[in-house]
Amino acid sequence: MKRLVLMVLSLVMVICLGGCSGQKTSDVDPIEEYGCDVLNVYNWGEYIGEDVLSNFESEYNVRVNYSLFDSNEAMYTKLQGGSHYDILVPSDYMIQRLIAEDMLQPLDYSVITNADLLYEGTLNKAYDLENEYSIPYFWGNVGIVYDKTLVDQADVESEGWDVFQNTKYKGMIYMYDSERDAFMVALKALGYSMNTDDEAQIEEAYQWLVKVQETMDPSYVTDEAIDGLIYGEKAMGFMYSGDAAYILSQNENMAYFVPEEGTNIWTDAMVIPANADCPKLANEFINYILTYEASYDNSYTVGYASSNAEVLEDMSSEGGDYYENDAYLARTDNDNDEVFENNEVMREMLSELWIKVKNS
Amino acid sequence: MRGFRRLIIPYLIWGVIFILIPMLMIVFYAFVEKGNSVLTMRFTLDNFLRFFEDSIFIEVLLRSLKIAFITTIICILIGYPTAYIIAKLKPASQNICVLLITLPMWINMLVRTYAWRGILLESGLSPEMKVYIGMVYNFLPFMVVQIYTTLSKMNKDYLIAATDLGCNSRQAFMKVTLPLSIPGIISGITLVFLPAVSSFFIPKLLGGGSFVLIGNLIETYFLTAGDWNFGAAISLIMTIVILISMFITKRFDHEKEVDNA
Repeated sequence: MKRLVLMVLSLVMVICLGGCSGQKTSDVDPIEEYGCDVLNVYNWGEYIGEDVLSNFESEYNVRVNYSLFDSNEAMYTKLQGGSHYDILVPSDYMIQRLIAEDMLQPLDYSVITNADLLYEGTLNKAYDLENEYSIPYFWGNVGIVYDKTLVDQADVESEGWDVFQNTKYKGMIYMYDSERDAFMVALKALGYSMNTDDEAQIEEAYQWLVKVQETMDPSYVTDEAIDGLIYGEKAMGFMYSGDAAYILSQNENMAYFVPEEGTNIWTDAMVIPANADCPKLANEFINYILTYEASYDNSYTVGYASSNAEVLEDMSSEGGDYYENDAYLARTDNDNDEVFENNEVMREMLSELWIKVKNS
Repeated sequence: MRGFRRLIIPYLIWGVIFILIPMLMIVFYAFVEKGNSVLTMRFTLDNFLRFFEDSIFIEVLLRSLKIAFITTIICILIGYPTAYIIAKLKPASQNICVLLITLPMWINMLVRTYAWRGILLESGLSPEMKVYIGMVYNFLPFMVVQIYTTLSKMNKDYLIAATDLGCNSRQAFMKVTLPLSIPGIISGITLVFLPAVSSFFIPKLLGGGSFVLIGNLIETYFLTAGDWNFGAAISLIMTIVILISMFITKRFDHEKEVDNA
């Protein structure tokens, strides 16, 4: 009995300590200031710095309800099902779709004063030309990650995306299990636009992927490829630059190459849904994420390229965590690089073709 | 007793909200055209025609059934002797054995499948073999526990009677133990076959992604392709296939009972 009392007492103490320490830092009454004291954030998994949320919570004297999604489509489905969030971090094409369907609200730039700190290369893209609805969070491109000791650098650099059809590397490759990215690679390898809706070109891309499936014995995975490449399960795959940067930092045999034929330049950006319960605080949150400290923490922890120009500079220059890491800072000077555009008809067609590719 | 009947009400409400209404929504989605709102909806059979017109979908369905079938057979072949041996032990050892068999189930299935991914990484087995290993590993405990439960409840006097009447131990097993354990095997089949036919993360994780089963197909249409109507149609077709297979197993069960009588 005595022990039980002791346990209960210590538990109460811990709760009290946690509660009290959270309140000390800010005197602002969030309800009065923002109309609410809970912010619902819906973000990708493994996509935030370790202390970002707790620092925001104590600085603004609010609580953050943080949930995770693993694909834009899953997020969209949840949103359509009537869930309320204050902040989302979808990718470019999904933002375009959300804007088209009137599901977002314009940002309040009188609150987001840190917008000046943004890296210009990530702004004013086709999905949201004036950045009226979105502020970039992370960005990058897609490239080939390969093991220098097993894959000949000359092959990768001379063949570009076609290296995925080089039978010398049969059984050694990953294909990213997402029709959008796989067709991007195939279309770029053939010299077409990744946003094409020309059926002949798509058919050709389909055949390109079938050839990979039939001659290369690839393994179709998504995030499993990260550990797989670090631990040498396979020797080559195409990856998002942020994941690639992490792989390169963990295994020094790994290299990153983006073919001249072009690639996908992507952005994941923060938006506020039209039905947000707490838009005022959401704008404050976006502003907070743009600060040097929060952006640095995010980029440092996750390995993706920051949208904050100064963080980007510090990370990739001498002494930075991603100095001489080819995957961290994506190029912005290749005319063949494109932004993915939302196209409902194409999306469905590609999903079906992708199932056929994997079954061929 | 009558008063206790009201206790069923919470379950009834739960069942309607979480089982019946979602089922009806699936049926509804499967029979309407894509992209029209509730006000202008048009009924159609196109979603089903599309499934049967393209050989790829049938292929995936047959493959799922084949894998689930073979998994179930392997589970019976391994599970029955295991359960039989356990049922013969002293009661205390029985409890420990059952505990040991169910122990892995306390850990999340996904985590265990990830572990298998690591174990099989360097094995050089074909993706199909890996999927079988993962499936049998995950579903075997259900089979063992079901069969063990019926075997341990069996009245041992039947066996003594059989021996008295001149059966040797093999005959006693074939004529008494096996027929009496059929209900356990049947519920084991239901518990293994049904989740196996619709499982989607085991083939996804262990089959290297190129191993598409019907569960993966449904996932793709709901999540990536965003075509809920076709996804719902596939789910419905799958439900019907499962109902048919359950009906067949139940029939088998009844026939056995009639035989015994």
